[in-house]
Amino acid sequence: MKPRNLLALFIIPMGLIIAAVPQNKTKPYKLTAEQLLNEANTRTQYISPETVADMIVKNDPSLRLIDVRSQDEFEKFTLQGAINIPISDLLSDKYSDLLNQDIKMNIFFSNGTITANEAWMVTRQLGYKNNFVLEGGLNYWFDNILNPQKPASSSPDEEFAKYDFRKSTGMALGGGQSVQASQNQTAPASKPAVQAAPKKKKASGGC
Amino acid sequence: MGPLSVNEIISENTNLFLAFLIGIGFGFVLEQSGFSSSRKLAGVFYGYDAVVLKVFFTAAITAMLGLLFFSLFGWIDLNLVYVNPTYLTSAIIGGIIMGAGFIIGGYCPGTSFCGASIGKIDALVFIGGLFIGVLIFGLGYNMWEGMYLAKFLGSPKVSETLGLTDGVFACILIVVALAMFWVAEWAEQKFPREQY
Amino acid sequence: METQKTKYLNPYIGGVLLGLVLLAANFVSGRGLGASGAIKSTIVSAVTTVAPAASEKSGFVKEFRESHQGNPMKTWLVFEMLGVIVGGFLSGAIAGRLKLKVEHSPKITSKKRIFLALIGGILFGFGSQLGRGCTSGSALSGMAVLSLGGFITMMAIFGTAYALAYFFRKNWI
Repeated sequence: MKPRNLLALFIIPMGLIIAAVPQNKTKPYKLTAEQLLNEANTRTQYISPETVADMIVKNDPSLRLIDVRSQDEFEKFTLQGAINIPISDLLSDKYSDLLNQDIKMNIFFSNGTITANEAWMVTRQLGYKNNFVLEGGLNYWFDNILNPQKPASSSPDEEFAKYDFRKSTGMALGGGQSVQASQNQTAPASKPAVQAAPKKKKASGGC
Repeated sequence: MGPLSVNEIISENTNLFLAFLIGIGFGFVLEQSGFSSSRKLAGVFYGYDAVVLKVFFTAAITAMLGLLFFSLFGWIDLNLVYVNPTYLTSAIIGGIIMGAGFIIGGYCPGTSFCGASIGKIDALVFIGGLFIGVLIFGLGYNMWEGMYLAKFLGSPKVSETLGLTDGVFACILIVVALAMFWVAEWAEQKFPREQY
Repeated sequence: METQKTKYLNPYIGGVLLGLVLLAANFVSGRGLGASGAIKSTIVSAVTTVAPAASEKSGFVKEFRESHQGNPMKTWLVFEMLGVIVGGFLSGAIAGRLKLKVEHSPKITSKKRIFLALIGGILFGFGSQLGRGCTSGSALSGMAVLSLGGFITMMAIFGTAYALAYFFRKNWI
């Protein structure tokens, strides 16, 4: 057989197959199940509401709050400065630059922590860094940051310090009643550092 | 999985070492196919030897099919593979200048290195010319920077531009290439020349 | 095997092998093959060594630096081209094609061939920079990833060469 016909015998069927099958548009997972389980177990994704409140008050430029609830809920109430990425749109191309970056700390939040955790898990498996979850979600935020309960008089000092801190930030964020904030605030837990995303994006080309 | 170096599965130095091995494969195949001979290369433009056309298109199709199948099996993420950006003006004018260089000099950069490695002096001189040409471009960069950067279209794929899927376009390209091979083999018989 | 005229590989087999090499390049490093990029690296590194002050002002060097960090010689394409020289030499040695000579049509002299090779080289070197890659880097690798620019450059190269072929026929046949 002529080499050309032999070649044709191979590449024409392959061409037909590749034309017939749909294109693979899936986004591959970068983390193994073990790695993800390990991260989820150590709860590294959680950021305490005190840290977040402190960052909001200080206008920390690295903070980016992402509301993963639906647009309706977002319009009714959300945190100061938050943007809305409904979880159903999480994988949309228009958000990939926001979610996969190395400049800001993205903090997902929802009413509880379930939806935010789902968003974190998906983005984390894609290998994205610097995405976190607001611990306790909006419900906890309401109860403890905007309307903190005064601890019982028998509580240890740290509880009072925490209460004072919540009180003051809560007020700064527009919640609670006007009670004089005490000066001795405890510093909130330190926030994690922003990690550089894998530098590439694409291999540089050029002949 | 792939591309290995972009996904940081292999280190930078391993990547460079593999580049060397891939280069050996590249040079070996070019030489074995006869790309070290300028008269054989030029043959494609006179119909007597279409080896360039056959090797070139067979290689492009093989690699293209390979990439599409690899992507289908999830072995490579095509979003991370470099797609040459399209600057319309410079792609056309650069191509025209290269075409003139090809027919005058008889080599292209890859094949000239290949020819020089087996002792073709004309290939060595061609390489010297390449260096001068790149240097001229570099020295006068400001003069043609405008043309160099004009009509930037991003990094579109032909398939996207034509509104086809990659697979359908690949299939069409295969048919076109096979038709060209058929014409080329007819021409080789029509304009026979001795082998070089 | 006879001396001198060792048969070349069948072009289709050669093409498939070349395609596999190109596929390997894409799989390993996410980029295709290239040749003129290695020359660019060499020029940039030579210019920055010889005239560091002047090179800082050059837009060409700046443009190169934006896409390559570190030593310009420690790039993928430089290593790949070193491999090409080794690979070509090995193949020539196996096939018995190692010979120092100027190849030209009997109708022209060696001197003329050398002169034309130099002119062709200069044009190709210049064109490859303007077109962001030569036949291997832009046309071949670009086609494999279905790049629009790759197809345009490929058509421009071959179209021009065919259009001019008639005027240079004495050099080849």
